[in-house]
Order: sequence, then C-alpha cells, then structure tokens
Amino acid sequence: MTSTLLKRLGVALATIFGASIFTFVLLRKVPGDPARAIAGDTATEETVAALRQSMGLDDNLFVQYGNYMGSLLRGDFGFSYSTGNSVGTLLGQRLPATLELGLLSVIIAIVAAVLAASFAVYSRRRWPDQAVRAASSLAMGSPPFWIALLALMVFSIQLGIFPGPEGRLSPGMLKPPNITGMFTVDSLLAGQWGTFANAAWHLILPAAIVTLGPFAFLSRLYRNQLRGTLRETFVAVSRSHGLRRLPVYNRHVAPHGLLSLLPAASLLFADLLAGSLLVEKVFGWPGIGSMTADAIIQKDFAVVQAVLLLAAVLYVVVSLLADLLMTAADPRTRVGAR
Amino acid sequence: MNIENATPLLRVEKLNKSYAKGIGNRHRTQILRDVSFELRRGQTLGLVGESGSGKSTTAACVMGLTDADSGLIEFDGVNLTTLSKPEMRRMRRRIQMVFQDPNGSLDPRFTVADLVEEPLIVHGVKDPAERSRRVSEVLDRVGISVKQAERYPFAFSGGQRQRIAIARALVLNPDLVVLDEPVSALDVSIQAQVLNLLSELQDELGLTYLFIVHDLAVARLMSHHIAVMNAGEIVEAGPSADVFENTTHPYTRALLDAVPGAHRRSAQQRTAQQGTTAALAAAGMADALEGK
Amino acid sequence: MQSNSLSLPAPRVAGDGGPDAERHDPVLSVRGLRTDFVTAVGTVHAVRDVSFDLRKGQRLAIVGESGSGKSAMAMSLMGLVPPPGHVAGGSVKLNGTEIVGLDDAGISKVRGKDIGLVFQDPMAALDPLKTIGSQFVETIRVHQDVSVKAARKMAADLLGEVGVNDAARRLSDYPHQYSGGMRQRVLIAMAIANDPSVVVADEPTTALDVTTQAQVLDLLAKICDERGNALVLITHNLGIVEELCDSVNVMYAGRFVECTSTEALFASPGHPYSKALLDCVIDPATARRGALPAIPGSPPDLSVDEPGCPFAPRCPIGRDQERCAVERPQPRTLSNGAVVRCHFAYDTQGETA
Repeated sequence: MTSTLLKRLGVALATIFGASIFTFVLLRKVPGDPARAIAGDTATEETVAALRQSMGLDDNLFVQYGNYMGSLLRGDFGFSYSTGNSVGTLLGQRLPATLELGLLSVIIAIVAAVLAASFAVYSRRRWPDQAVRAASSLAMGSPPFWIALLALMVFSIQLGIFPGPEGRLSPGMLKPPNITGMFTVDSLLAGQWGTFANAAWHLILPAAIVTLGPFAFLSRLYRNQLRGTLRETFVAVSRSHGLRRLPVYNRHVAPHGLLSLLPAASLLFADLLAGSLLVEKVFGWPGIGSMTADAIIQKDFAVVQAVLLLAAVLYVVVSLLADLLMTAADPRTRVGAR
Repeated sequence: MNIENATPLLRVEKLNKSYAKGIGNRHRTQILRDVSFELRRGQTLGLVGESGSGKSTTAACVMGLTDADSGLIEFDGVNLTTLSKPEMRRMRRRIQMVFQDPNGSLDPRFTVADLVEEPLIVHGVKDPAERSRRVSEVLDRVGISVKQAERYPFAFSGGQRQRIAIARALVLNPDLVVLDEPVSALDVSIQAQVLNLLSELQDELGLTYLFIVHDLAVARLMSHHIAVMNAGEIVEAGPSADVFENTTHPYTRALLDAVPGAHRRSAQQRTAQQGTTAALAAAGMADALEGK
Repeated sequence: MQSNSLSLPAPRVAGDGGPDAERHDPVLSVRGLRTDFVTAVGTVHAVRDVSFDLRKGQRLAIVGESGSGKSAMAMSLMGLVPPPGHVAGGSVKLNGTEIVGLDDAGISKVRGKDIGLVFQDPMAALDPLKTIGSQFVETIRVHQDVSVKAARKMAADLLGEVGVNDAARRLSDYPHQYSGGMRQRVLIAMAIANDPSVVVADEPTTALDVTTQAQVLDLLAKICDERGNALVLITHNLGIVEELCDSVNVMYAGRFVECTSTEALFASPGHPYSKALLDCVIDPATARRGALPAIPGSPPDLSVDEPGCPFAPRCPIGRDQERCAVERPQPRTLSNGAVVRCHFAYDTQGETA
C-alpha cells in the first residue's frame, strides 16, 4: 500500500517536471520576440538587444531553464511586463475569481449530470434517456466561446435578465471584505445580502456556460456506468431476494456509478480549464482565464508559463487525489484477500 | 512401438515459476513446482487439475507465452528456454494452440477463410494459390465447406467455431498442438463431435497433443498418459488406465469421487468420500479442495 | 391454445408418509409459459408453451443445452427476465398466487419469500462494495421485520448452517475475501434466508471446480432435506441430475420434450433427444476414443418456429420421417409414465411406439 503510494507520488513529480520542460521550451520556440514586444515597435535595435540581455534571453536554454526553476523554487514566478506586476501577485489576485467560477461550475455539472443520468437510466420510458443523450451531445458539440456570446446577446442585451460583461459585481458596488476572495462566500460571511445577490447574479450565466462541457462529459459517463452496473449479476441477485427497484438502485447501482466517476476527475478538470479560458474573456471575468488570454496576445510569456505550470500541477494533484480516494473507497483494493 | 516413439517430442524438466504478491512483498507464490513430464510423438498427455493447479501456466510456458523461472523445455531436441526471439518464432509454427473459448479467439471482423489463412501469412507463405489450397484442405478436414468459409464467425455455432479454431491451428502443419480445455465451453452433444474430430486428426496426421482438461472422463478417453496437477505440482502421473484404475494419490481419488453421477453413491460411499475429504484436510490440502 | 397441460407423472417417492393433501396442491404451477426476446433481427421465442407442476419436497431437474431456453425459463419463474426479454404469456402460480403480470411491489413480496434463486456465477453475484453481513442483513430485512442486530444473528446462524466457519466474524468480510465455493454457500444461505417454498438453482455449480461442485451439491441436497422446500435445478449435467433430483424435464428448443422420473429417464429414455443426450455422457468403461456417440448438427434457431418437430433434423428416427417434418408432436404418456412430445418415442423396452 505505501509502496504503491510512493510510486504514484514519483509518477506525479515526474509528470510535473516534464510539464515544466515542455512549457518552457514551447514558449521559447514560438515565433515572436518578447523583448521587442516589451520595448515596443519604436525602440531601437540597441535597446531591444540590451533588454534581451537583461532578461537572460541570450543565455542557452539550459541556463535559462535552470534560472527559471531556481526562482520558481524560491517562490518567484517571474515578472509580467504587460501589467508591471510580479506574476505571483497577479495569480494571487486572480485565482479567487476563477476558483469561484470553477467550483460553482463543477458543482452544477456534477449535480445536474448525476440527476439527469439517474433519471434517464432509472425511468422505464425511453424519452428521458434520449433527452439526456441529446442534451449531452449538444453541450459537447458547441464551442463555449460562441455559446457565451450568444448567451450574452439573448439574456443580457435582448432580455436584460442577466448583467452584461462587467465582471463580478455591478459598477459602483463595493467588494465584500476579503476572506476567501470569492465574493459570494465573503459577502455571506459578512452578512452583506445585497452584495451576495449581486455577485450571484453576475456568477450564474458564466458558470452555466462553463458547466456545459463537464456536464456533457459527466452525464454521458455516468449514464453508461449505471447501465453497465444494472446488467451485473449482483443486481439481479438483490432483485431475486425481493428488493424493489429503488433500494437496489440506491444501494447497489449508484455507489458503483459514483465510484467510477472518480478516475474522470482529472479529465473533468482539464475540460473546465479549457472552458473557462475564453468564457472569462467574454464575460470580462477578472480570473486566471482572461488574464491568460490577454497574456497570450501580449506575448507576456512569464504569465503564460506560470499558468501552464500551475495547471499541470493542479491536474496532477487532482488525479493523484482521485486515485487515492478510489483506492480507499473500493474494498477490493483496500482490504486484501483472505 | 516404432523408433519415433523412443525419443519424446516434448520434454519438460523441473519447471518452476513464482510471482511476487504485491510490490515490495517478499512472499512469492509458487505456481509451478518442479513440473516434469515427457510427451511422445503421436500421443496425448492429459494435464488434469482444478483451477489454480498450474496446468494452464504449464501450457503457457510450453507455448512461450510466459517465461519460467527455471527448468528445461525441450521440443524435438531443442531447448526452447534458450532460443532467441526469431528462432522461437520459427519454432512456434510447429507448436500451435486451441483455446477454450472459440468466440474469444476468432476476430469477428474477418471471414473464416481469412482467419484460417492468417497464420500462413504471418509465417511467410508468400504464394496466394498455395495458401488458398492449404486453407481449403484444412477446412475440408475439419468439416467446414469452402462456401461456408466466406461467412463470418458469428454465423457459426459454438461447435463449428471450435472446428474453425482447430483448422486455424492445423493450417501450419504443427507437430504439437496444445489443447486448452477445447470442449469445456461446448454442450455435451457437441463435445463428442469435437472430441471425435480431434481423435481422427491425431490418427491421420500423427499429431501430438498436450491436453489441458478438468473433465476426468474426457481426459481418460483422450489421453495415453495422464499427469494430475495440484497446487503447482504433478501429484500423480502415468498411463491413463493406471492412473484411473489404480489411483495412489488421495487428491486424484478425491477428484474421481467428486464427479457427480459417476455412480449412484450409497450412504456408505458418501461416508467414505467424506473420509477422503477429511484425510485431505489433514494432509493440508483443504485449500486445494476449496480452489484457492 | 391446445393442450398445455404437460403434467408430470405423480412422483413415486418411497416411504413418503406425508398427508395426501400436500401432494395434491402444487407449490409451483406453470401453465403455457411463453418468454420472448425482442431483438432488431427478430423475436427469439426462448420459452414456448411450458407447463409443469412442482410439489412440496420435489426435486425437479430441467435439463437442456445452451439455447434450449432453460435459463430464460428460470428467470421467468422469478419475474426477472432481463430486457429485451419478457414473459409473453401463460401463468406461473406460487402457492396458488399468480405472479405473471404483478407490478414491482407485488412481485418483490414474492421474490425471496416464496421463491428463491441461486445463480450460476458466484463470483459476480455479490456486490463487491458491500460486506457479506450488510448484504445478508438487507436480504433478511426485506421480508422480516427484525432489527439489524437480530438479522445479523440470523445471518451468522445461516452461514454456519451452510458450512462457513467462524461465521459471525466473516460477516464483516467483503466478497473478494471468500473463495468461489464459499461465495456459492453464502448465496445459497441468502436464497433460503426467508424460507421460500421453492428454490430455483440455475447451473449452481458450473462455474466451480469439481471437488467444490460436489460439496455445493451435497449442501443443496442437505438444505432441501432439512427444510422441505421444493427444488428446481437447471443444468446441462446429467450426472448432477442423477445425483440430486427425483424427476426430470428435458427441454429442447423452448419446450419440454420429456417429463419423467430420474429413474425412468436413466433406465429407458423415451424421447430420442433424451436418449441421445444420455449417450453423449462419456462412460469410461465403454467409450471408445474417436467413436463417441454425438448428436449431429446444431440446435435450431429460436427466432423461427417451424411446424414439425424441432429435433427432427438431428434425430436418428425423425430425420427420414415425413410426419416429423410437418406435424408438431403433442404430449403423450408412455407406459412407464413418462410424458413425451414425439411421434416415435421409445416405449419401455426401447421399441418405438
């Protein structure tokens, strides 16, 4: 058990190391000179060359990578020239907004997918299953960026139900006291009901759109798992003992389905990340996603690199946790055979 | 007995195999313990035992599908355990295998003719006319018409599929055929058809069979020699009739007694069998009885 | 529908001093049962017009090959035919109560309480995420209003009864901690936990090794003796029939082709299919290598129901008979009491009638 744990930890560290090299090399090989971008179009060749040297861009890649990792370990993520802040500070400012959006989206996705798939599989009629499959295909097939624009046009501009792309609060609204950085949570903790309502009102539309991809993926997966479990012999055995459909479903079918969702957690995370990047941009949501989108356009590679690495680390941590949880929850791996 | 029978086609000596229980655990489970036997050309050796006895692992070692920890596997005078990969590949066409589940071993996307032809292509028979001649010859031999062979495996019944699997094994003219429970997935009425076919083929082509089987009646009927395996060891071996009529080992006795309906057991016989079970338990073989 | 009543000859149990009334009221009565599987390529009629009675204490074997419909029939008795299958007609009465057409609530009251089922594959028949104890307690409490603690005590007692050592402690174990034979013992214990009057066992030992198989069969026999429940044993193994059952229904292509006592079947099989099946059992004393009696051809396609006898193409008698190809044989009684569906059945001394 401990040896398996150590092995997985080793694999996780190796993955992060690989990801750091990959992002580093990738960003240095894409066309475009970051020094020129910083200095501006009007700067002379000498200025640019001096800047290149001061940024260490003239060193060979190994030295550059060594320097980069060295500062990373010291907690220095580099400097964002386009905003004039250290990347660490930027991440600290932006992370809560993304976390708030991401967490809500994940919760919606899981609850909606589990409910929809359960209903589709449990129902004796065919239409719920067909409806869930259609919804999931639709959600999977539509690009979140396009859906975000469409939703803004319909719900905000045409119908006026939801706010426009103005970020997390209406202009002029005061931020709640900073506790977690997530406005809905902080306003609740401070008892500021008006701020809570406003923050939630701003959160709903982007969260609903970010949720589409994960929902499509999860509902399809959960439905297939449930259907597979329903065909298992032990389900028929429980029925033969006189258990009715619902108890069999709750006690013997659903637990297997839920357990099988765990390995999908890392994929879900990747899905979420990709979805939030452009959706944040469209809604003017001041999170990591919109920051990254801006940084890519500005060739602010210190930011892009930090975000990519952060994503890789989170991805690895999420899959590791899911793995461990899976091992702990399944008696076949938890308790040895007699 | 002619001269060919004097040297064995297959000789297995002191085969050992074990695997570690989990990572970092120093306890190793012994799956094969000093397994030794000889198999003469044109004969059948029945390898009998329950699940976990090591009979399938022995077959896998002979087929080169898994490596033994130690021991000798000599085929036609050549030590298979020391062969290089390409040498083993060439040797492989002389040793073929028929599996228990004909559905699992036949790819449903190919026609029967393609499936039977495939081993010829793999082993480098270049001439298409030659290939198709050999395919139709072997299909005819197992009782599948050339016309039927244009169909896909799912169009055939279980017994016919096992015939196709046999044809696929025989198309390369092997010397040794490893039969891994070839009839245990078939219905009794079909079992006999396939067993008869296997006997006929052996007599006509002089094939040598290593027959992995749990059904004692089938083993006795088909085999010249029997080796009874339990917990990785051969506990009793000898000519078929001897093993079944003058059983010496209590495990073989227990196996024979356990066959249902071999005779209407009277209360006395039943007690006698419980006696055997008790003796086995005393001999520390209760695990074997429970199939652990 | 014509003549559904392919009833069994009265069991001739020696020394049975039980009251006559018990003999007359069958615990299980099946009439004209039909089960279909609707697939994209056509409807498979797996069970076609099956009728039989089962009396208290009787041990009936249903013998047939794969595709004969025997497992579909077992599932129909439980109302557990898996989709796309369904019971298409007929009646199944348990202790006088009709169960065909009951809703989920109705049939759940019957399952486990009046009729119990033992499945073929013990390795897949227990929920791997739950302990044996919790699954057992659940099974008991479906039908009995007892506390969890009391149910656990009952479960431990039952496990002890079926031969699980140290039962109270092993309740906390998970299924993967039990061997195959032990799991089948657990499943038998669960199937009888609510004292059903009928136990259906669908190939209960096919997945087990031969020595384990013998132990499980002995256990089934012991349970039936002690509790007096009736047993329906679905099997393809005639050796098991001989050992365990007093009567046999031989099934072919969804119908019973011979209903008889075990003794009569082994002494003088009436239907050519029964005889052919018996001939296929390898007898080491007489069998000759390469010349085993086999049944030529393969079982018929169950999606079509042709007019004649379905066994005719493979039958040593019917192959050449015009009548067997066009006219479906109706049940008739032979001189030894066996009921067969055959125009040319062997009667008593092996002559054709």
